[in-house]
Order: sequence, then C-alpha cells, then structure tokens
Amino acid sequence: MIEALQFEFMRNAVAAALLASLLCGIIGSFVVVNRLVFLAGGIAHAAYGGIGIAFFFGIPYIYGTIGVALTAAVLMTAVAIKAKNRSDTFIGVLWAVGMAMGVILLDFTPGYHTDLMSYLFGSILAVPTTDIAWMCALGAATLVLTVIFYRDILAISYDAEFARLRGVPVNMVYFLFIVLVAVSIVFIIRVAGLILVIALLTIPPYIAEKYARSLMTMMILAVILAVVFNLTGLWLSYNHDLTSGATIILVAAAGFFLSFLLDFVLSALRKNHSHKTQVPPEKS
Amino acid sequence: MTSEHPIIEVESLCFSYNRAPALENVSFRVDEKEFLAIIGPNGGGKSTLVKLILGLLEPDSGTIRIHGQPPSKMAHCFGYVPQDVNINIDFPITVLDVVLMGRLRQGGRFSLSRTDRNTAMEVMETLGIKDFSERKIKDLSAGQRERVFIARALAANPEILILDEPTASVDTEGKTELYHLLRDLNQTKTVIVVSHDLMIVSSYVKSVACVNQTLHYHPNNEITGAMIEMGYQCPVELIAHGQPHRILKTHEDL
Repeated sequence: MIEALQFEFMRNAVAAALLASLLCGIIGSFVVVNRLVFLAGGIAHAAYGGIGIAFFFGIPYIYGTIGVALTAAVLMTAVAIKAKNRSDTFIGVLWAVGMAMGVILLDFTPGYHTDLMSYLFGSILAVPTTDIAWMCALGAATLVLTVIFYRDILAISYDAEFARLRGVPVNMVYFLFIVLVAVSIVFIIRVAGLILVIALLTIPPYIAEKYARSLMTMMILAVILAVVFNLTGLWLSYNHDLTSGATIILVAAAGFFLSFLLDFVLSALRKNHSHKTQVPPEKS
Repeated sequence: MTSEHPIIEVESLCFSYNRAPALENVSFRVDEKEFLAIIGPNGGGKSTLVKLILGLLEPDSGTIRIHGQPPSKMAHCFGYVPQDVNINIDFPITVLDVVLMGRLRQGGRFSLSRTDRNTAMEVMETLGIKDFSERKIKDLSAGQRERVFIARALAANPEILILDEPTASVDTEGKTELYHLLRDLNQTKTVIVVSHDLMIVSSYVKSVACVNQTLHYHPNNEITGAMIEMGYQCPVELIAHGQPHRILKTHEDL
C-alpha cells in the first residue's frame, strides 16, 4: 500500500478515509447516544434526491446533496421535537421520497449514464481533491464546535430537560449538531455510499461506548476504531480488487462481532473469578 | 394562609394535555424555607404541577410567580431532581460529570472552573458519594444514583429544591436517610417533594398540597382521611399504633 501512495487517487483515498474517520467518530457518537441512527439513515437516503437535482439542473453534485440533506435533517428534527411519537413514520416517508425523487429526476435527465453504484456504495478511490478540501474544513469545524459546546452537548444528550433548566439553549445547540450530522453524512457517502453510511457512523461509536467512561473518550476511541476499519478496508480492497465501501463495512462489522466475543470472554472470566473468590477456604 | 415572604405564588392555574384537563384552577403559595409535600394519585397532576413551576411547561391560563417573576426567568432558583433517575443508564458518563451538569452556566461559559469542580466535590462529600466520583453512572445502585441526582441539583446552590418522587427506587432505610437529608437541607432551602409516601408527610414536612386536578393546601402536616384515600385510591380505615398520629379534618370545601 505504501508504493500505492505515489498515485494521487490513493493519497486522496487515504486522506478521505482519515477525515471520514474523524467525522464518524465525533458525529457518530452524537448520533448513537442521542438515538438518531434512524434519522441519520433517513438523511443519507433522502440525499439521493440531491443527486437527482444536481444532475437535472447541471449543478455540482455536492450542492444538491448538501441542500437536500440539510432540508431533510431540519424537517425531520423539527417533527421529532414537535411530535415525538410519530417522528419515525415521518422520517421513513422522507427517506423514501428523497430516493424516489432522485430516481425520477435522473429519468428526466437526458443522456445521463453515469455509474450510480458509486453513490449507493461509495467510491473512495475516486474522491476528488476539492472534496478533500471540503472535508478538511468540515472536520475542523466539527472539532472546534465539539470542543466549544462539549458540556452543552453532554448535558443535552444525557438529560435535555435538565439542560434546559440550567439555561442551555437546547434547541439551538441540537439543530447546530443536526446540521453537522447532515453535512458529514454527505461526505461520508463519498467513502461508504449512502446505503452503507449508517454502519460506518454507528459501529465505531457503538464499540467505543462500551469501554468509554465519558462522551469525550467515546469520541476519541470511535475515531481511532474508524481509522483502523477504514484503512484496513481500503488496503484489502486495493490488494484484492474489491469494492471499497463494502469492504470497509465488512471490516467494521468484523470489529463489531469481535467486540461481542471479547465482552463474552471477559464476562465469563469475571464470573469464573468471582466464583472462585466466593468459595470458602476448605478446612484442613 | 398569611405569609409575608412567599417565594412561589400560583394563581388560578389551569393546564391540559390535548384538551384533557390535568390541573384546574390551582392557587397556592409557598413560603421561604417551607418544606412542602405534594401528594396525590397517579395521573393526578403532581409532576405536571412541578414542571409548570419549573417553567418546563406553559400554563393554559393563570399565573405562576417566583419572587414575583415568571418561572422562565427564574430557572436559576431551582434545583430539580426528576422522577426517573435511570434515564440513559448506559450513557458513558461518570458521577462527577453528572454532578457537574448542575454547574452549567454558573462559572465559565464553556469550560469548567476550579470553583465548579470544588463545589461539585463538596456537594458529593455531603451526600456521601465522593468515593464514587469517577465511576460510571451505570455501576451505581438506584439509591446511590438518586443521591447523584440530588447532588447535581444542589451543585448550583439553588434556593428551592424540587424532588419528583425521590424515594420510588429506594428501600425503607434509604428513605429515612433521604428524608433526614432533606430536613437538613430545609434549614437553608425551600424544599418541595412530590411523594406517594405518607411517612414523609407525618414526620418531616411542614405543609401538604393534595393534588388531583384540583389542589388542596394544608398549612401543617396533618394526615387527613382524604390524603390517605388519595394515596390508596380507596377509603381506608385508620389504625393507630400508639405513635402520635394526626388524623384530622376533611377538605373544607368537599
């Protein structure tokens, strides 16, 4: 893989993998602890409508997807705040409407024959340098905002009612981070594709949460895990000529099941240990 | 009741959820340093009343004044211990971080000051949970978790402490300890406790509010037959065990 770095596309792929890992770790942790996985999936799929809009009107695809992802995210969150009980239905509808809109708009686009698979399953080897610049800016913004709002985010995620009582502008901070979720998803789609993005957004934070004692350590641990999964997946897909997005997801899934196995072994050992200490010493 | 220093004044308060009335024409006032128990049946509107006082809900009509101001401006006066201390139990958070939440918007705007940390440690010491400060919230017993949430409420040094059913997940011994603690805190603070437990009414509080859509205020801690019926939802015959029971009077307007 080292010699592969002489190619620009490979350098971009590694940069994209690292930046996506940063976003996955931080934003993914926010998504997991706030139980927004379904919302994240909804945003990712609705963003497909943005691809349709972009090709139909001939604008850069990034503007179309960011525009639609943001609109969907804000609508979904507003409904989630106003009518909690049925927000999942609404998210499901927007999820499908976004995708359908994308398909129909591409039908209407004359002479359009680009490979759609790269949007559905990702194409990390084709990430352009301009996207890397965007991702750098987004990564920096995410880092700065997370540091500034860390205590607010912690309080809102753990107990929003109490945070409100303490004077935290709960809805403002919440929407700010939903915007970050939406924009991050658009760029992670580049790496893993819109169908696989949820796995990359949730597996590293999920594993990290079990071993972390604070949201901060969860985020840091999730970033490290995402780096491991992304780079391993990228290396495997390059060496064995596999679809990169799917390879990355399978590596992450392997990590997911390994962590289960580890938990199982650890709890068995602990049980065995406590069993031994409970046995009274035999009288001689 | 004639009070010179009301800290909370509630006047003709009405509130409904989707047109189902929860509270109707509720008026009462709470003095400084009062120890008030709010009792009543499930679904009678106790928690709703608390959330209205805290400014977490807006009344349909009527007014609530805290030191003469609307609750939304006076949130800093309150220390609040919610009913469910087991929310988000798997959340990766330490006891210290939960208690520090009570210091939000107190010291530094974005970062924690030394004062924040010291105050949190002091409060945890008072409540006997200092040794757990670095433990994950998940690894505590329900009673210990209750204390963590009280510590969080006290970390802002509030004038008024409001607890919503603090003994729901605590055993009898823990209850007595908790009530003693509240009595000590009442030396310097106004304390309001939502409770099903008549033990607190008979032995600790100074006044009682019975809530079941309407509110009846009792300026002392007598247990009335009506209170017991509210607690048990059926008429109860009272059996005295030689302790000084104070079982008196029905609501005058019943």
